[in-house]
Order: sequence, then structure tokens, then C-alpha cells
Amino acid sequence: MPAGVFKETYRADMAHLRYPIHYAGLLIGSVLALTAPLYLKGYYLDQAILFMIFLIAAVGLNITLGLAGLVSLAHAALMGAGAYTVALLALKAGVNAILAIPLAGLAAAGLGFILSLPSFKLKGYYLAMASLAAQFILEYIYSLIAPEQYISIPFETKEIAGIFFGEGIPLYYLALAITIVLLLAAANIARGSLGRAMKAVRDNDVAAEIVGINVTMTKALAFTIGGFYAGVAGGLYALYSAGVGWEGFTLLVSIELLGMVLIGGPGRVVWGSMLGVLVLKTGWTNLESSLNPLLTGMGLDIIASTAKYIVLGTLIAVFIILEPEGLIAVLRRIKEYLRLWPYSY
Amino acid sequence: MDAGLIIESTFRGITIGVIYSMIALGFNIVYRVNKSINFAHPVIVLMAAYVALVVSYNHSPLVAYIAAIASGIVASIAVERLVARPLLGRPPIALIGATLGVYYLVKGVTITIGGGETASLPLPYKLYRLGPINLGFNDIVALVGSLTALLVIILLHKKTRLGSAMRAVAEDVEGAAAYGIPVRRLMVLSWALAGLVGALGGIFLAVKNQVSVELEFYAIRALAASLLAGLDSMGGVIVGGIILGVAEELGGLFLDDYLPGIGYDLAFFILLLVLFVKPYGLFGTERIERV
Repeated sequence: MPAGVFKETYRADMAHLRYPIHYAGLLIGSVLALTAPLYLKGYYLDQAILFMIFLIAAVGLNITLGLAGLVSLAHAALMGAGAYTVALLALKAGVNAILAIPLAGLAAAGLGFILSLPSFKLKGYYLAMASLAAQFILEYIYSLIAPEQYISIPFETKEIAGIFFGEGIPLYYLALAITIVLLLAAANIARGSLGRAMKAVRDNDVAAEIVGINVTMTKALAFTIGGFYAGVAGGLYALYSAGVGWEGFTLLVSIELLGMVLIGGPGRVVWGSMLGVLVLKTGWTNLESSLNPLLTGMGLDIIASTAKYIVLGTLIAVFIILEPEGLIAVLRRIKEYLRLWPYSY
Repeated sequence: MDAGLIIESTFRGITIGVIYSMIALGFNIVYRVNKSINFAHPVIVLMAAYVALVVSYNHSPLVAYIAAIASGIVASIAVERLVARPLLGRPPIALIGATLGVYYLVKGVTITIGGGETASLPLPYKLYRLGPINLGFNDIVALVGSLTALLVIILLHKKTRLGSAMRAVAEDVEGAAAYGIPVRRLMVLSWALAGLVGALGGIFLAVKNQVSVELEFYAIRALAASLLAGLDSMGGVIVGGIILGVAEELGGLFLDDYLPGIGYDLAFFILLLVLFVKPYGLFGTERIERV
């Protein structure tokens, strides 16, 4: 009688669903996701949509940062590229906003490719500075595009066959479909040859080159794919929000996305990102909205506005120092503890 | 264009450029010992300015400035002890991410304590005229003060025994340790020095302009000066800072009609240009990687 789950073939080792908990998770997760509009209304449904938008963006950053180890502080600006693509196409050319979302992905992917150019020569902190500069330059360009701050997307471009996709249940299911497709793709990238090549480049790029991996192309692809995800997320964000303005895509948002990846689990593309977004986006938004009236009532409204910086900064620093593999490693330890309980080794 | 305006802008650029140099020096000092960028440095600049402001409410200006410098040094040593030291030997992204975390943490605390206000530091006000140049007393303090501090620190680094020990640590940690140089203590000292120049930079920025949340962006832009000089160069930061300051002022003067507000974003174009063309900067040593 084997004590544990054993895999006998490579196919079983690489499968998406390997343990009973995966099957259970898939079943519960899909039922919950498909029926969510039944019990999530209004504000909470918006939260679910925002969760998916940021999940897509975080998965993109996790590919760039977690898998390939390339620091990008311009991920929010890439999201912005997607959002502005959708907004400008819808406003200036009358293109349907939903059909423009893939174009948004491609536009941001192109920008991501340009951002990858410094990474051919530079590593680590140099790359971080290049992307930081890119973030500020893009913010500046966005502020030039719309000096009056907001580009509003015409409502009629958010419709297909008479259904309005700008809010509520239709937008939820649209976002869900896109999320599932992109998450599956990300999971396959991570476990396929490209993902392994990225991990090799991350761990030791010289060794990766010696075993025959095209380091330049792998880095470019990591940035391009990350950019595509960010662009689609930005496009969905444009669809979701009434107007597109540059202050949705500032450095702070980039750092938030960085925090989601680092806290959730860098390198664990799907589940790590999901945990990170759950904590930093959904969890924090709800905590903030319930705490803020309390803080304001106590006359501490200055803390209400700065708490976000403090919590975000502390979480990022603490996780990097104490738990570099992120929350997902914590969960794994808890799982192991429970599995072996009460006779741990 | 009016020549007087150009001269005045150039002079303003030099004044702000010297302050940039000082902040950039903080980046470089840390880079030399830790081989990574300390993204918490800009927020030390901001924090020192607000500490000076808050203390000056109840105490004499002198006490306020001393408190600000002390706070910068203490914060910088704390970052070394609590963040940089546990991360020694980890990939550079770890220190980048962690110091970015510290950046937001300290920023939040600073705004909470300082109330996010915009205010001037207590200083006698007087305006001098020098040909086309309008010169406030605060400009003179900032220019002379930061130039003096820069020169003192660079001379300390070049001419004293302490300085040569610091250079040895920057060159080769193991080698320095083998010669009996107290590496750990010198690392702490380097970070303290970075905190000192950061705090001084914050004070002089606040003296020249005002205390405001905007100050952190000056400190972030100083990164361009640091890179332009080369991340491991010390004296080069003066050139880098002045080039950056003058470029910003003149860029703002000439390009503002076509690209509104470009002046302050010019730093990032310079940064990208340097990264693409000469990533090791004007005075930096090129690092050749051996396998």
C-alpha cells in the first residue's frame, strides 16, 4: 500500500490535474465561477470582474518576472497601452470595443517586445531601471494623449448583438471566458519547453545558453507574452470602466502587480498569481472599504489614505525576506502538515 | 530666444544639478558595496525633508536639521540591517523588490506623520540679483551646502584610510576581509553615508523648493544622474547631476511648447539612452562577466 500519490509515467507527472485536491478544486471552482452572478450582485460582481482583470495582468507579470526572472516595473504602463488601444480605436475609428481587445493585447505585446530590448544586454537592476524609466515615459505619453484626463468610450461600441458588455453579468462571463483561456495557455507555457527555457534563463543564463537555449529569444518572448496578458487585461479594464485615464496605470499599480506576484508565488504562474491578487486586490479592497469609515470616524483619515502604501510595502519586503516562494509555499507547508498529522517526521 | 533667460535657466539647472549629484551619490555608495540599486533611497530624501518640517514646528531650525540628518542615517542603517543584510547572496531582484517595499512603507509613514503638506522650511528670505540671474538666499544655501558636502564625502573617500578601506570593500569583499578589513562595519558605514547624503539632499531640496510629496520624484530622477556617471563612480556624479539638471531646465525651456511638461520627464529619456548606449556610464568601470 503506497503512502501517498505516485506517478508512474511522465505524462502523469506533467498533467494539469495530478492530485485528488486538483479534481475537487476544479469541480468546486468551475461551479462557483459559473454561478457567481446568482449570488454576487452589483458591487461584489464588479469585484469579481476586477479580480479577473488583475489576475490576467498578474499572470502576465508572473511569466516575465517569475518564470524568466526579468524585472519589469512597467507592467501597469503595458496595461495602459491595452486600455488606450481599445479606447482610441472605439472613440476615433468606431471599432467595437470587445473585438478591439485582442488588438489591445497585440499592441501591448509589441510594446513589451520593445521593453525587452534592454534585457539583451542588461540584467537585474539595470533592467529594473530601464523599465522604471519606461513606466514614467509611458505615463507621460498617456497624459499627452488625453490632457483632459479621461477618454470615454462610446456605449454603442460596447455592444454585440444588442447585449451591452460594459457591465454586470455579460461582462462577467466575457471576462471569465477570456480568463480561462489565458490561464490555461499560461499553465501550458509554464510546463512546456518555453517555460522550462525561461526557468533555465532565470536560474543561470550562461548555462542556459550552453545547453542550446536561445537566451535572447526567450527573454524577448517572456516580455512579449507578459505584455500580451497585460494588454488584454488593460482592454478589459477599458471595457469595464467608464473612462480611461492615465492615473489607472501609474507606478503604484505596477508595484501592486509586482507585489501580487511576489506575495502569491513567483514562478507559480496560475495559482501563485491567483493568491496574490486575492490578497492584494480583493482582500485589500474589502478590508479598506470596511476599515476606512472607522478610521475616518476616529479622525485618522490621513492613515486611511496612506495605509495602502504601508501595508503593500511591508508585505512585499517581508515576503521577499522571509518567504521568497510566496504564499503558495506557505499553503503547501500547511497541506503537508495536515497530511502527516499527527505523526510528522 | 533671450540670452538672459538661457543663462538663468542654465544656472538654475546647475543649482538643482548639484543637489541631484548628492542624491545620486547615495545610490552609488550603496551600489559599490551591495552591487544593487537601493530603491529605498528616494524615500529617505522625502522622509528627511518632512522630519525637518515637523520638528521645526516646535523646535529651533538647527535642531530640526540635525533631527532630519539623524533620521536619514538611522533609516538607512535600519534598511541595511533588516533588509539588505538578510538578502546578501540572493539574486539582485530580491534586493530591488525588498527596497521597493521599504520605499512604499516609509512613504506611507512619512505622509502619515507629515500630513502630506506643502510648506517651506524656516529660513531667512532674501533675493539677490546677479546680472540676469535671480538668486535667493535659499538657492545659495542649497548650492554651497550641497557642493561642500559632496566634496567632503568624495575627499573622505579618496584620501583617507577609511576611504581606502571602503574602496577595498567595494572592489572585492572576500579580499578585503582577508586583509583584516571589517567588511560588515564598513557596509553599515556605507549605508549610513548614503543615508546622510540622502537626508542632506532632502533638506537642500526642501530649502531650494518646498517640502512636498513631489520631492521623492526629484530623488527618483537623480537615478538618471547616477547612471549617467556610472553606478560605481564617485566623483562622476557631479558631472552626471549637473548634466541632468541643465538638461531638465533647458529642455523645459525649449521643448515645452511642443511637449508640455517634458522637462521633468527628460531624466527618464536620458536614463534609457544611457542604458542603451553606454550602460556603465561615463565614468563607470565596465564589468566583464566570467563564466
